[in-house]
Amino acid sequence: MQYDLRLSKKRKLRDTVLRDGRHSQSGKFWALRDVDFRVEAGESVAVIGPNGAGKSTMLQVLAGILEPSVGKVEVRGKIATLLQLGAGFDPELNARENTLLVGEFLGVPHKEMLRRVPAILEFAGLGEFADAEVRTYSSGMRARLGFSVATSVEPDVLLLDEVLSAGDAAFVEKSRVRLTELMKRARAIVFVTHDLDSAAAFCTRAIELEGGRIVADGPAKRVIAAYKKKMAKRAATASRSGPVAHRGS
Amino acid sequence: MTTHSTELTVGRPRRGSIGTIFESLASLVERRRLVWYLTISEVRNKGTNSLLGNIWWFLDPALQLFVYFLLVSVIFQQAQPAILLFLGAAILPWKWFTAALASATTSVRGREQVMRQIAFPHIVLPAASVLASVGNFLFALVPLGALYLLYPDRLTPWALAVLPVAVVQFLWTLPAVIVLSAVAVFFRDISNFIPHGLRIWFYLSPALFPIETLRDIGARHPWFNFFVDINPFTWIFSGYRDALYYGRAPEWGPLGVLALASIPATLLSIYFFRRVSPLFVKVL
Repeated sequence: MQYDLRLSKKRKLRDTVLRDGRHSQSGKFWALRDVDFRVEAGESVAVIGPNGAGKSTMLQVLAGILEPSVGKVEVRGKIATLLQLGAGFDPELNARENTLLVGEFLGVPHKEMLRRVPAILEFAGLGEFADAEVRTYSSGMRARLGFSVATSVEPDVLLLDEVLSAGDAAFVEKSRVRLTELMKRARAIVFVTHDLDSAAAFCTRAIELEGGRIVADGPAKRVIAAYKKKMAKRAATASRSGPVAHRGS
Repeated sequence: MTTHSTELTVGRPRRGSIGTIFESLASLVERRRLVWYLTISEVRNKGTNSLLGNIWWFLDPALQLFVYFLLVSVIFQQAQPAILLFLGAAILPWKWFTAALASATTSVRGREQVMRQIAFPHIVLPAASVLASVGNFLFALVPLGALYLLYPDRLTPWALAVLPVAVVQFLWTLPAVIVLSAVAVFFRDISNFIPHGLRIWFYLSPALFPIETLRDIGARHPWFNFFVDINPFTWIFSGYRDALYYGRAPEWGPLGVLALASIPATLLSIYFFRRVSPLFVKVL
């Protein structure tokens, strides 16, 4: 099975253009540009880069949440997204009901979701909180439930955005184990992260984005090492030229 | 689990207008359970934030009826036999309409979080909103029924005709909700305009007074008649009143025309929604 992804450009209007009703000449900017790559089955791709590089936008385009202004996205296979844990949860419903609700959002067949509910709740380790409304949960609990739901459904393609850090050490370990399992099943994973060590450990390939463009694409360890060096150099240059920002205020 | 691979249902529509509409309808059918869950969720949520909770579903229309009763009967001293029933037959269904529009404005806008994270056909959101509002209607029937305790002689078998009239109202609420839910994403201020617009519409409809009042105005200013005729609520309120108050058959002709006319309106609204929905996530 092949996960085939080709993205060209993407443009995103600044919120203010529409919110304020003003037309700004400079109001259009390209969140991603000339992004063109292909992911095959069995690959796990880390997407790294500084803030604002377009990483999250890219995941949203891959997931079908955003449509590219130019170019196209082709995904062969079923997608699961973990963009932010707890998406789609209704605070007034309990864990079980929310699991079913999110399952419906994701498009999982109802019967299949019903079957998976016990395992999902168990993995999330909510204990007796499973029957309580989600609005009573801590953010960690919500994240655990969200992770559990999204990874339970055996997608062909898994899109992750900065999610491995959720939960305590025990849960983090559990999640790593689960993700490793998913990766082994010859699925494709695209993983946005600032956690470079995790990325180097987990992923076979890395893509570096900067300013919406791909600046590096290759084996994970090599690209990440180069990226680390580059960031270190930049930090050193910045501190040498003295602080530009004002202190205080 | 699906985001259907090469046919992302969230992106810009790739087919012609008919195909687009068809695709939206198909996605509604396919995701009917999601629509249902969202409907339940919305119905539940409406009851949670207040002390009296779901009692407000009865109390709200009843109080509004009382206020207008004070205004029309006591202050303006308009004499109508069985005044409460006369007013209630229009005010209570109108409450359904305004509640539906109010929840329409937040149906998409309020789901920003999940839209940003999961790809799903957005049309389910206004659909759930409109279905949840049917609950409003059913609850409004309770104070209406209570009015017959006051005026038992007004109750006839024709009261059952309230159901087909309600269907016509529903058929026109649907496109209104769909369009509004989309527009509210781009123009947040619309939530401020809507209550005022609705009030004007209400006063220009035969709710607080019989239709003859409007026709009298029309006799003096013929252009006014046009607006009276194209206002769906002229016929809908008359229909409710015929069934509930006068105890006679509603005028099926105009109601039938309204019902038929609602079909292209709904299809157009679906098309409009589908065309703008890719922009939602960009704007929110």
